[in-house]
Amino acid sequence: MNKLGVYVCSGCGIGETLDVARLAEAAAEFKPAVCRTHAAFCNAEACGMIRQDIAEGKVGAVVIAGCSARFKAEAFCFDHGSVVERVNLREQVAWSHQPQDEDTQMLAEDYLRMGIARALKTEPPVPLQDEVSKTILVVGGGVAGITAALEAAAAGYEAVLVEKQEELGGRAAGTRKRAAQMEDLAEAALYNPRIRTFCSSAIEKIEGQPGMFDVTLAAPAGEQKIRAGAIVLATGWKPYDASRLASLGYGVSPDVITNVELERMAAAGAIVRPSNGQPAKSVLFVQCAGSRDAAHLSYCSSACCTETLTEIGYIRQQDAQAQVYVIYKDMRTPGPYERLYREAQDHPLNFFTKGEVAQVRRWEDGRLAVTANHTLLGESITLCVDLVVLATGMVPNGTEDILKLAYRQGLELPVLHNGFADSHFVCFPYETRRTGIYAAGAVRAPMDDEQARQDATGAALKAIQCVEMAARGCAVHPRGGDMSYPAFALQRCTQCKRCTEECPFGALDEDAKGTPKPNLYRCRRCGVCMGACPERIISFKNYSVDMIASMIKAIEVPDNEDKPRVLALVCENDAYPAVDLAGLKRRQYDAAVRIIPLRCLGSLNIVWIADALSRGIDGVILVGCKYGDDYQCHFTKGSELAAKRLENVKETLQRLQLEPERLQLTQLAIDEWDRLPAVFDDFVERMRELGPNPYKGF
Amino acid sequence: MNGSALVQPDPNLIRDVMAAGGGDLKKCYQCATCAVTCELSTDEAPFPRPQMIAAQWGLKDRLIEDPGPWLCFYCGECSKRCPRGANPGESMMALRRYLTAQYDWTGLSRLMYRSAVWELGVLGLVALLVIALFTLPHDFGFGLLSQYPAALQTVMLDRFAPKHIVHLADNILAAGLGLLLLSNGWRMLRALTRGRSIPSGTYLKALPGLLAEAATQRRWKKCADQRGGINWVRHLVLVSGYATIFTLVVLFLPWFQVEDSGLHWTSLLGYYATAVIIGSTVWMMSDRAARRSEMHRFSHLSDWLFPILLFLTAVSGILLHIVRISGLPMATYVTYMIHLAIAVPMLVVEVPFGKWAHLLYRPLAMYVAAAGKESCEKRMAVGERG
Repeated sequence: MNKLGVYVCSGCGIGETLDVARLAEAAAEFKPAVCRTHAAFCNAEACGMIRQDIAEGKVGAVVIAGCSARFKAEAFCFDHGSVVERVNLREQVAWSHQPQDEDTQMLAEDYLRMGIARALKTEPPVPLQDEVSKTILVVGGGVAGITAALEAAAAGYEAVLVEKQEELGGRAAGTRKRAAQMEDLAEAALYNPRIRTFCSSAIEKIEGQPGMFDVTLAAPAGEQKIRAGAIVLATGWKPYDASRLASLGYGVSPDVITNVELERMAAAGAIVRPSNGQPAKSVLFVQCAGSRDAAHLSYCSSACCTETLTEIGYIRQQDAQAQVYVIYKDMRTPGPYERLYREAQDHPLNFFTKGEVAQVRRWEDGRLAVTANHTLLGESITLCVDLVVLATGMVPNGTEDILKLAYRQGLELPVLHNGFADSHFVCFPYETRRTGIYAAGAVRAPMDDEQARQDATGAALKAIQCVEMAARGCAVHPRGGDMSYPAFALQRCTQCKRCTEECPFGALDEDAKGTPKPNLYRCRRCGVCMGACPERIISFKNYSVDMIASMIKAIEVPDNEDKPRVLALVCENDAYPAVDLAGLKRRQYDAAVRIIPLRCLGSLNIVWIADALSRGIDGVILVGCKYGDDYQCHFTKGSELAAKRLENVKETLQRLQLEPERLQLTQLAIDEWDRLPAVFDDFVERMRELGPNPYKGF
Repeated sequence: MNGSALVQPDPNLIRDVMAAGGGDLKKCYQCATCAVTCELSTDEAPFPRPQMIAAQWGLKDRLIEDPGPWLCFYCGECSKRCPRGANPGESMMALRRYLTAQYDWTGLSRLMYRSAVWELGVLGLVALLVIALFTLPHDFGFGLLSQYPAALQTVMLDRFAPKHIVHLADNILAAGLGLLLLSNGWRMLRALTRGRSIPSGTYLKALPGLLAEAATQRRWKKCADQRGGINWVRHLVLVSGYATIFTLVVLFLPWFQVEDSGLHWTSLLGYYATAVIIGSTVWMMSDRAARRSEMHRFSHLSDWLFPILLFLTAVSGILLHIVRISGLPMATYVTYMIHLAIAVPMLVVEVPFGKWAHLLYRPLAMYVAAAGKESCEKRMAVGERG
């Protein structure tokens, strides 16, 4: 066990609120080797004092009681090898509770004891140290893939570009306007000495983990083995199946085509009526053909409006007198694309109206009659045209039969909304639920070429970050730099498979019997496995079931009925900063609450609840991220898992004659910090109403 | 396709309206800010939004049957607030020009609105005709004058342009132009009422409104005119001057065209008309030149020609008066000819074919719109009772 050093800061209002000398006395129970107080431990002199204590070998476990660990991280960053535990006396005690108050003092003393208990159980993490590859594998040779490979190469990394078609270029190469640009881009990749390109190739298998993915390719020259450190998935999109759009006339006549077919025609030459080969003199575009439509694609593909406007330009080049109609739900041309819309609008013979196409049928003269309802003309209209173009949307291409991952949780990337390989809708673009594999371009979200380029650049940089973090043996986003990793005491494993099933990132494979086979470089250090394990065999050097349990045990539970105690297990990604924010805004809440941050609510082990209740703590509240489709959890579904575990515990509670109301899970986004004091106060109030935990004093 | 209209855009309509001032028409994306902004637009018959898309799409039948364009007095608020720069105010003006051409069955109006050469050419041709009338016959104008040497010494207008002949010509001209205009107005009325079932009683009921509107343009007052109604007052004053001089020339020429230098009642009215016309037209032209308010931002040739010709008519008229009183015979005869060589072409071109025609079209449109509204309200009331 490390020699303990306790440093109690009295700055930032702590000294005015609390009796610091009594705090030092409370610490004395643990017989620290050093116990100091100071008016501002964050200043260079005071920091130097701590550093010196460590350097002289006086202390190894440093407990600093002062501001939240979310502040002054650099000042309190000491040598590896020492353990630093921060006790939050500022935001969560001094700034949010009554000064010079007995309950506040008790709160601070509990926090100090909890911090010391934790510090004494913590060991300094030792980083993983394996040989890693820094090669970036890029899957898909379209605009996103080529850009990602070029960006990785430009940053000094080797890239391998795999494309299933005979040539690079992707969908953009088949369009009239982008073909030349794509040729240049492909050439840049082909002649780049850092990029190895495999066309007409497919992935047969990917094994391993970030830093050491073993990729087997089926290439024309035979099977290829490649070791890569990270992967960018840029397999783009495919058009929505127009054969399902019979209601919009697809199949009624060869003269009803899709925007993709029109592009192909335009790239090859003139825009004609497929039925007779004559130039199209009147063309009608149906926007959102099968998009933003519950029966087809519920989303907007974001590029079709701009594509249509570009294609109107082709028609204009061919025939200034042609009549072009556009029937839209909404024209969506963000940013500079609005100029395309304006330009198209300006032509006297381009006609736009909002409307719903109700029917497309053959007209007597062989042309097509299109009827649209709810138009801006104030009535249903019928237009007779030579050619109808359905602007169909994008379907992600690359979440089936592409990566062939040898992962316990499946061969391909898990998808989020509408089958796109996205992970989180705001905070982490390019992240997927497979560590080290980043999605870029239209496989991630519907987008156009220009956005895909930006996406590819971002994903390439994420991939680079990943291989560099792997080389240092630490975690990637969101616990970037975390050197700890889970250790499995496998001799006690019962092969229940909860960890391998619940790991949000598929880090754990299994042997034939169901024993987990950790792939630590895939691990994001969230601790979901630790929370899942009924045998409690999974722990980190600085985060374990025992450690949190010791903290809970360090809480003094008075027998006095007037002093209830509530344990708050709080997600440290969103909820914990929200608690700090409440303190920063000097919002007050009940001093009965003892907050313990968890890496993720998914790391909640139900034994902690049993520990808390058996010690007489009156209630346990969990505060974590919102879950559901638009989840906010950094680890995908941590709070959802915690909620499930909680439901199971509630049944047990009833058997123990305890009210299930003593457990509560609150979902809270970081911007809802102002709700927090009321959440705490209401919960404590309910505990008061329920009366004291009958196990108090046992 | 039950109940859906077969739409076939008329490319000529779009080009004509764009050429007649609606150049920004196509920019409209139908947000309806214009119709919401407009003080005169109503929920039952809003404008300018529906007219904008009808013009964008070249829906000729719909526009010809629509009184909407004539209900607008062009305060320009819609253009100011248009987020797209589509200038609905000027587009409505362009539509009025286009419709004036459409209601004219001779086709001359369309030629003149589309081409400055045609417009100036016709004006010039009529002016030449007037000059020829004074110079070629031997019993009128300079031909007649040559038979009366005394008329070269003192001003004797009857030896140059005898009152009874001029008066007769006046009346023939007024009747001819009036008939042309009325025939165009009839075409307009037919178009406006096509497809509307308005009981004739309703027309009668709306008639006083028509007359009041024609006389006072009272609806204009409801416009969000940023200049506190100045445009309306000025127009009203100009109309009063114009009407005065028109009445004098057409009905009272024998009392108006006098030879002595005494003060006649007709002279007083003449002075009033001259002052008002010169004052108003100069003011209006300076507004147009300085683009002082929204309605002056764009000026079509037709917007310029009307005040210019009016101004020149009044100036030449008063000049004629001065040289006559000053006893300068030759100057008087020449000025007389010039005066008519300005006034007659102006009337010929403007009354049935040009901007002047709004005198008839605007009240007619409001009349039909009001009658339509009336019958619509009546139907609704009956429906409610039923």
